[in-house]
Amino acid sequence: MNDRTNGEHAVPPEQPDPGHGAAGPRGPGCGSGTRGAGADAASGHDPVPPAAVAPRSPGPDGSPGIFDKNLLDRCISCGFCLPACPTYALTGEETSSPRGRITLMRALETGQLPPDDPTLAEESSFCLGCRACETVCPAGVEYGSLLEQWRDHQWSGRDRPWIARLLMLLVSRPALLRLQGLVRRHARGGPGGRAGRPAAEPAAEPAAAPDQPVSLMLGCVERGLYPKVSRAVRELCPEVAVPSGQGCCGALHAHNGDSVTGAAMARALGEKLPGTVLTTAGGCAAHLAHHLGRDRVRELSEYLGEAGYAPAGQVTVDGRRARATLQDSCHLRNGLGVSRPPRELIAAVADYVELPGADRCCGAAGTYAMLRPEDSRAVLDPKLDDIGRLDVDYVVTVNPGCLRQVQQGLRRRRSRARAIHLAEFLALAGRPGRPSDGLPGPGEG
Amino acid sequence: MATDTGLARDLAALVGPGHVRTDAGALTAYGRDATPLFHALPQAVVLPGSTEEVAAVLRYATEHRVPVVPRGAGSNLCAATVPLTGGIVLVLTRLNKILEVSSEELLARVQTGVSTAALADAAAARGLLYAPDPGSRTVSTVGGNVATCAGGLRGLKYGVTRNYVLGLEAVLPTGEIIRTGGRLWKDVAGYDLTRLLTGSEGTLAVITEAIVALLPAPEESGTGVAYFDSLADASRAVADVISAGIVPATLEFLDRKCIAAVEEFAGLGLRQDAGALLLFGDDGAPPTVAANLARIQEVCADAGALETTLAEDVARADALLAARRCSLPALSRLGSLTILEDATVPRHRQAEMVDRIDEIAARHDLLIATFGHAGDGNLHPTCVLDPEDTEGADRAHRAFAEIFAAAIAMDGTITGEHGVGAAKLPYLADKIGADQMALLRRVKTAFDPAGILNPGKLGS
Ligand SMILES: Cc1cc2nc3c(=O)[nH]c(=O)nc-3n(C[C@H](O)[C@H](O)[C@H](O)COP(=O)(O)OP(=O)(O)OC[C@H]3O[C@@H](n4cnc5c(N)ncnc54)[C@H](O)[C@@H]3O)c2cc1C
Ligand code: SF4
Ligand code: SF4
Repeated sequence: MNDRTNGEHAVPPEQPDPGHGAAGPRGPGCGSGTRGAGADAASGHDPVPPAAVAPRSPGPDGSPGIFDKNLLDRCISCGFCLPACPTYALTGEETSSPRGRITLMRALETGQLPPDDPTLAEESSFCLGCRACETVCPAGVEYGSLLEQWRDHQWSGRDRPWIARLLMLLVSRPALLRLQGLVRRHARGGPGGRAGRPAAEPAAEPAAAPDQPVSLMLGCVERGLYPKVSRAVRELCPEVAVPSGQGCCGALHAHNGDSVTGAAMARALGEKLPGTVLTTAGGCAAHLAHHLGRDRVRELSEYLGEAGYAPAGQVTVDGRRARATLQDSCHLRNGLGVSRPPRELIAAVADYVELPGADRCCGAAGTYAMLRPEDSRAVLDPKLDDIGRLDVDYVVTVNPGCLRQVQQGLRRRRSRARAIHLAEFLALAGRPGRPSDGLPGPGEG
Repeated sequence: MATDTGLARDLAALVGPGHVRTDAGALTAYGRDATPLFHALPQAVVLPGSTEEVAAVLRYATEHRVPVVPRGAGSNLCAATVPLTGGIVLVLTRLNKILEVSSEELLARVQTGVSTAALADAAAARGLLYAPDPGSRTVSTVGGNVATCAGGLRGLKYGVTRNYVLGLEAVLPTGEIIRTGGRLWKDVAGYDLTRLLTGSEGTLAVITEAIVALLPAPEESGTGVAYFDSLADASRAVADVISAGIVPATLEFLDRKCIAAVEEFAGLGLRQDAGALLLFGDDGAPPTVAANLARIQEVCADAGALETTLAEDVARADALLAARRCSLPALSRLGSLTILEDATVPRHRQAEMVDRIDEIAARHDLLIATFGHAGDGNLHPTCVLDPEDTEGADRAHRAFAEIFAAAIAMDGTITGEHGVGAAKLPYLADKIGADQMALLRRVKTAFDPAGILNPGKLGS
């Protein structure tokens, strides 16, 4: 058997999780990195870079102050990030590489390129924001923050793509969002719509013990499209409180050119959710950790891992243990350095098989799949090839965007593999007496 | 020279409109490489898809007197791909096929836009070794390696790129496609143009294909670390290792500042209280490797090492090597204007050179960290500055001028592996003398009568 499948039954050793102490080669360029929020987590520091949302003002040299200069200066153009970048892999052109984009940002900052330069506009949107470049950058360039600042400038006002504007509006209005969820279920019919109450937001519950409360964040997109995810979480961790009236965390805003609102929304949500904020979306986790502090935020796999989750059973298909793989969430892995816990959880309930390039973006990238469907598919395609070769029953994801993207891709290919959120996957194993053989219906993946 | 729009149109006719860029953004992005302080805009960026297209572009450029700067991944550190006089940046990354890997002949034939790591991986998949191992291997292209004659972490035992190039396909600036050397280890017919083109820094011809020698992959490899009080101590240990008759595959060192920077990125648990570390490694038959590593540990201990340890497994050894590879970018955490240099001295004078560098840095009040390929006498003194500090940059230039002069005075050279480029051209005459400079120019004219290929670099 080739090394692709060597990882079966166990979490392969090549999956270091810097956030969890193991060091080993990471990323194609420069080996073991523990930088970024993962390192911050390890050392217990708050990863919030002060500059991320501070209003920037013109620099003393008359530069427009679009970027935090300290962040921008950090890049030394060594090019170590090139092999990690999915858009560079698509084009092979410097402009669509992290290093090239930083050169463009500098030209914007110094006025060498005018703000309405078409290449600037194109590249600020072509970038997936997957932050794979950050993990391999030995110089510690915080590309994610730079991208937020770039989009704040580039996409302000009317220049923001209309789909992004619409979504931002939608997630700021819980009622509209609920409607979206209902409409979707109505259109589809089937078991997803069976819940009497609006499944989008489970009924409020009292907060847990005030000393160590854990609040489940429902996630605005997820609660609309995948209400089963939070239901599964409540099955898995009944101790978790689900405060009502949750807003959106603002990740969508931050990634689409409005980081000030994005930060304010994160803080507001932080006030509504007491104690540790438990999320089921890598993107939300990274954004919240950025603004609320790493210590307050736990993504589901981290939380379960720390809580010593023990499965009630295993996930089976046709009477045998299921074969499952994981597609990392970029923001969870690259932003927070969490990659081992979800793998360990999967391995606890099924035969785990490592997906080559699981750490590479699936192309969902927040609003990207909607804004740039063709590029998004081009990024996804090689991954679907890899999944096809793996011959797995399930592709587990830890983020609603990735779930949707992989689900649609697999369906297009008429693959036998199903995409499923980690929470739901674990719930399949956790319901004794109910065989997991019934693969989830087409709508719910 | 053709007008810019005329140029774009003409080039598009040669390589297809999708592979020519003249937008301001692309020109900006291709206006620099990994060298700080150098930037110049080209008029067009061209990404040819075949040797024939390269030939067509060059023929056109000679005819219209348009400068052409060949470019691989742009990871060089001597401004070798900065288009000083505008013109075309000719990017070879689309030529990235591995054409063959032969276990029988122990060679590989590749297009030159392929990355060094991809070539090494393809060889490894057949149980073979592509020995040259520059720190930038995941990024850099084989073409860039050949054109700069890149060295790397295995240089001591295995030599540099030059020792592995058997044959080349190259396009002359006038458009002729030539093939030099071939598939043979022994081939002495005519001037050795293969060697002449190796290290020619894109000034004589554009290399489109390379046949490189491979070796059987060593059965085993091992790596260890020795910590010392100072870099000078570590350098003396290197001399002792060599005079003990051991030629390890890898002998790299980092000074205290580099250790701290690398540790911050890689989190390997390196000792921070040491003044320097020596990363040593060997490969070959298992008993030999074990014996050599043990012997190196012994010699280091005798030379006053604070501690020596062996990496317990391959993953750990790889992590150590990977960490060493990224010393330069990691150092930039101290100050993002990092000017890296590449002075090389005979091995036995390395400790002396290290002391000289320290003295020069102190006199100019500069933070200069040093790491390098210790076994080769190849030092990378790296000055770390605040990017706003223009006065500091001036001092750095004066300091490096002294460092180069010191290296030359010790029978050393101004670059051991990175090449001369635009950054070090002013120092070249000090090394090779006026007569050789004149000969270089005559060679250049023979290949490139119109002087279009990478102007402002070698032979200019
Ligand atoms: C962090 C870091 C570590 C490094 N470590 C090492 C090291 O250990 N050893 C070492 O030797 N170097 C090292 N380098 C320097 C650099 O990576 C090498 O010089 C490398 O060979 C450049 O390859 P490239 O593809 O990036 O070439 P480029 O930078 O694009 O070009 C370099 C030169 O080659 C010419 N050229 C490129 N392709 C062709 C072609 N096909 N035909 C003709 N001319 C061509 C260019 O005109 C230019 O003169 C390092 C650089 C960095 C940033
Ligand atoms: S972002 Fe980091 S890895 Fe990429 S070029 Fe800049 S310093 Fe190098
Ligand atoms: S965020 Fe992702 S797509 Fe964007 S530059 Fe970095 S690696 Fe490339």
